[in-house]
Amino acid sequence: MASATPLPPSAPPAGFYAAAAKIYPREVDGRFSRLRKAAVVVLLGLFYGFAWLDWNGHQALLFDLPARKFHIFGLTLWPQDFLYLTLLLIVAALSLFFFTALAGRLWCGYACPQTVWTELFVWIEQWTEGSRLQRMKLDRAPWRAAKLLRKSGKQVLWLTLALFTGFTFVGYFTPIRSLAAQILSLSLGPWPWFWVFLYSLATYGNAGFLREQVCKYMCPYARFQSAMFDKDTLIISYDEQRGEPRGARRRGSVARSVGLGDCIDCTMCVQVCPTGIDIRHGLQYECIACGACIDACDQVMDKMGTARGLIRYTTEHALRGERTRIARTRLVVYAVLISAALGALTFLLLTRTPLILDVLRDRNALYREVHGDRIENAYTLKMINLDDQPHRYRVTVSGMRGLELIAPVGEVPLPPGSVNSIAARLEAPRELSGGVHRIVLTLAAVDGSGSAVHENARFIGPKP
Amino acid sequence: MRGVRGLDVALVLWPSFLAACAASLLFFAAVDPVVLRDAGPRLFAGLDREAGYALGFLFFWGSAALASAISVYLIRTARAESRAADVPGER
Repeated sequence: MASATPLPPSAPPAGFYAAAAKIYPREVDGRFSRLRKAAVVVLLGLFYGFAWLDWNGHQALLFDLPARKFHIFGLTLWPQDFLYLTLLLIVAALSLFFFTALAGRLWCGYACPQTVWTELFVWIEQWTEGSRLQRMKLDRAPWRAAKLLRKSGKQVLWLTLALFTGFTFVGYFTPIRSLAAQILSLSLGPWPWFWVFLYSLATYGNAGFLREQVCKYMCPYARFQSAMFDKDTLIISYDEQRGEPRGARRRGSVARSVGLGDCIDCTMCVQVCPTGIDIRHGLQYECIACGACIDACDQVMDKMGTARGLIRYTTEHALRGERTRIARTRLVVYAVLISAALGALTFLLLTRTPLILDVLRDRNALYREVHGDRIENAYTLKMINLDDQPHRYRVTVSGMRGLELIAPVGEVPLPPGSVNSIAARLEAPRELSGGVHRIVLTLAAVDGSGSAVHENARFIGPKP
Repeated sequence: MRGVRGLDVALVLWPSFLAACAASLLFFAAVDPVVLRDAGPRLFAGLDREAGYALGFLFFWGSAALASAISVYLIRTARAESRAADVPGER
């Protein structure tokens, strides 16, 4: 990707992934790293915690693939509700565009699972192997007992975390409590094991081993996100005019009087970067906008007694001394589209009837004469209660004079999420039933839940 | 042709994994694997729904990986000059 600002050309592309040098990100503290840590705690807390949350006697979030039903708190979604998922994905994609246009790669820096789990794995690495310098020294050191202990300790913790992550992930698709019981009693079938191991392997490989290489070589979003950028997008940028010419100087010396800019070329911004780039080369697609370089540079500027913000969140317009416009056409269009999709989703969910009625005519006979002067038609009614509560229903008929429901009379109970097929018989006097009549069957809940569905059918009598 | 490199393996497996996820989601939202099993040959008799999802996913992954592999193979075995002509802006 070409750099958007007229800064020095970016570094030559790194080698292919097997040959890429290992990156040892230096630990950093500051506004953005605290924000990222908070995001890690909240997001992983949600992921590991929500699987165990119950709602009305069932798991609150359960995408029950074996039963082909999604439970989302009080809502139960069936395969025929795929439209909701589609709308939700559209909202998610548009939101990604909106926030990228507004403030760059917020997703990458704070919310992407790759970032979040990598952060967690790096914490473990720092805990077992120490700081950046200690880790580099350890990797160069010969294999002795201390190194073996630290390295194997890290691997054990990583693998345990990866396995627990895989288990939690599968716990969103099969009930997590019975999954745990089956694992502990070693009675889990082969396919759940396959998914647990696949997701564990993905977590371990992506967060422990591949890390920034996922962002640099594997992520499609990293390559096209710049299409959402414009000159008013907030990006992390090095203020070249203020920083150059860079160079070391005595503490306390006034930069301009010794012919230098504010950058002391301490390379802290490079050392803390999890993707190993130099932000001073300008905007690069490897930058995941984590803000570590801002935190590092601010600390250095504080020590040097110069103003913070040599590396900061800014816009291309602001860097050039021009005005930044936040409310611009692109953002307004994204916002309108998001609102429309969210509105449609909300409307459809609120007006959703958790009940389905299918009416099938009896294939054996068009009609049957009963009691000498009456005509009977037979049907099969297929009823599905899509709700997660049991309901009682009553069938009624309309649309034809003299039409009477013979069966089913009374209430039809349906357990939550169940399908029931029952035989229905309708009768009408012979003199009123000649020919084909359009009728309507109505299935309505009688317990005050208000659900009702109507289905068209035909009633056929002898030719007049 | 040079030997197969780590990057080639990643370029084949990773995009096809993403494609297989999307394909599985769409396909199994519309089709119940149990219905497919009952309608199909006796080969799949005895498999449950979870096995159906897993096999379906692996099938999609395999198909997409085959397509990716052919793409990578064609790019890697092309003459250097035609590759340069095809991709003028290549870094």
